[in-house]
Amino acid sequence: MSSDQRSGAAPGRVSQMHGTVAQRTIKGLFTLLIAIAILFPVAWMAIAAFKSKTEVLRSPFQFFPDTWDPQNYVDMLQDDEFMRAMTVTFIGALVFTALSLLVNSLAAYAFARLDFRFKRFWWVYCITPMFVPMMAILLTSFMVVTKLGMLNTMAVLIIPGVASSLQMFFLRQFYLGHPAAIEEAALIDGANRWQIFWTIFLPQSKAPFVVVGCASFLAYWNAYVWPVLTITDPNLTQIMQVLGNFRSERGVEWGLLMAGSAIATLPTIILLLIFQRYIVSGVRMAGIK
Amino acid sequence: MTTADTRVAVEATPQAPGPRGRARRRTPRPSATPRHLQSDLTAYLMIAPMVVLLGIFVFWPLVYSFWLSLHSINFYLGNEWVGTQFYRYVLTDERFWDSIKVGVTYAVMVVPTGMVISLILAMFIKTLRGRTASVMKTVVYLPAVLSSVIAAILFAFMGQDAGLINAAIGVVGIEPIAWLNSPTFALPAVALAGVWLGLGVSTLILLSALNEIPESYYESAALDGASFLQQTWYITIPLLRNVFLFLLVTGFTLTIQEFQLPLIMTNGGPVGATKTPNLFIFDSFRENTPYSTSFSLAAALLLFLVLGAISLVIFRLLRSEKAIDA
Repeated sequence: MSSDQRSGAAPGRVSQMHGTVAQRTIKGLFTLLIAIAILFPVAWMAIAAFKSKTEVLRSPFQFFPDTWDPQNYVDMLQDDEFMRAMTVTFIGALVFTALSLLVNSLAAYAFARLDFRFKRFWWVYCITPMFVPMMAILLTSFMVVTKLGMLNTMAVLIIPGVASSLQMFFLRQFYLGHPAAIEEAALIDGANRWQIFWTIFLPQSKAPFVVVGCASFLAYWNAYVWPVLTITDPNLTQIMQVLGNFRSERGVEWGLLMAGSAIATLPTIILLLIFQRYIVSGVRMAGIK
Repeated sequence: MTTADTRVAVEATPQAPGPRGRARRRTPRPSATPRHLQSDLTAYLMIAPMVVLLGIFVFWPLVYSFWLSLHSINFYLGNEWVGTQFYRYVLTDERFWDSIKVGVTYAVMVVPTGMVISLILAMFIKTLRGRTASVMKTVVYLPAVLSSVIAAILFAFMGQDAGLINAAIGVVGIEPIAWLNSPTFALPAVALAGVWLGLGVSTLILLSALNEIPESYYESAALDGASFLQQTWYITIPLLRNVFLFLLVTGFTLTIQEFQLPLIMTNGGPVGATKTPNLFIFDSFRENTPYSTSFSLAAALLLFLVLGAISLVIFRLLRSEKAIDA
């Protein structure tokens, strides 16, 4: 019976394996096609930046440049205004990320681990901003920072966005899942809450810190409207301001603009590539919640 | 409105009773008063930076918006209480309703398209294994890290008369279109950028939902001879209903608020064809007259009200359906 079954099964298995090979090739091609389709606009930006001024929107259309001329990239990298904006924005983004990690994780720890009076009230207070649309406070936030004399400072770019309900919520979910045993042992040994936070919780927060840290960095780096409202000082101009105002200020030099956009995108892509594992799982965690 | 939203926030957080109870049980305090006060102090110090910052940069502006929208600002005579006058102005202003129409049209273009593409992508990535799968997840997510400023510039470039999109449709014999200068095609061009930017997040969310569907459902369906399409239609889509609803609500409320893309791609034009509600509000604020300030704040709060009401209703729906499922 067993030999009977085997002989019956064998051809089926062979054909199935043939199918798998063909399927795998098709699937591989498909995967490649999809990846190219999604990344295409980014690649197009980088390619178009290699074209000269006369070539970039030439008719009839030509996909690749006649000669791969890096002049646009060189010009942008030597452009004072552009490079200053890159540097200032980068420094601002680092400070912003550090501050928001500190502020949000402290509050997250307190809400996850401590019991205190009026906790429920403060919890609702800290979580409500998630439901306030940006436009309902953007305009008066501008009026508030004007009153506080914060216009044209680094502080106006950094401070208002530091506290984030969403990030605090995310970090708190993480701290809630921590086992209590280590913390109890430390409490019995006489450690106070600050020591527990610094020595036990912070070192174990790498994964969620990477997720919310990247989110902070990207939010700061990619911001446009807030800097446009609050910064007129050319020394503090942010990178997206430079790119967003490029067309009105320098006429339509698409090649240069594409080169600038590609350079300004690079830090965010590098960030994604370094931390892809954390970011991808972070987005999915947020989705499940 | 704020109270209603608050209620959603509280209900939406599954934590409420559990962890607090655990925290209480874990720290019994025999010498009640001093330790308790000390613990309160620690907790308050820890939440203080967050509370203060949110107070200054969220709650103060919010209350201030509300207050200003009820007043007529006058630098010489002082502010005058005018009640709901500006709200009536907004509600009777055709430009406001036009912008709502644009916003809704834009959301209708972006959200369903994005969801269908995301579902297909997620279903495809689910069949991949190992390294290919993780590379594809990163690839799909890549547009999401781009600034909408750069996406706007990029799609404006591709939509130029001699740009890539016209070259591509030229291949299939379609005449070139002046994408950003045509009242008909400007909004679809902006929507294209919007769909591309939003793909990553919704695909990853759908993917994780797909992975939660037990494989045995598909196996037994396959045994009964269900085709791939039947499996998708009768198993995958019904089981993802709550995720679809979640993506629909968040997607709709977020896309209707979009204004950076049209601001940079078309500046609301041509003839207001891409002037979304927030762009309308932003523009009238930038007119920078006392009238326009109160007017734009009233418009912003009205929009907040409408969006809040929509998401409240749908979140209620979502919760009740979850209750039935469970």
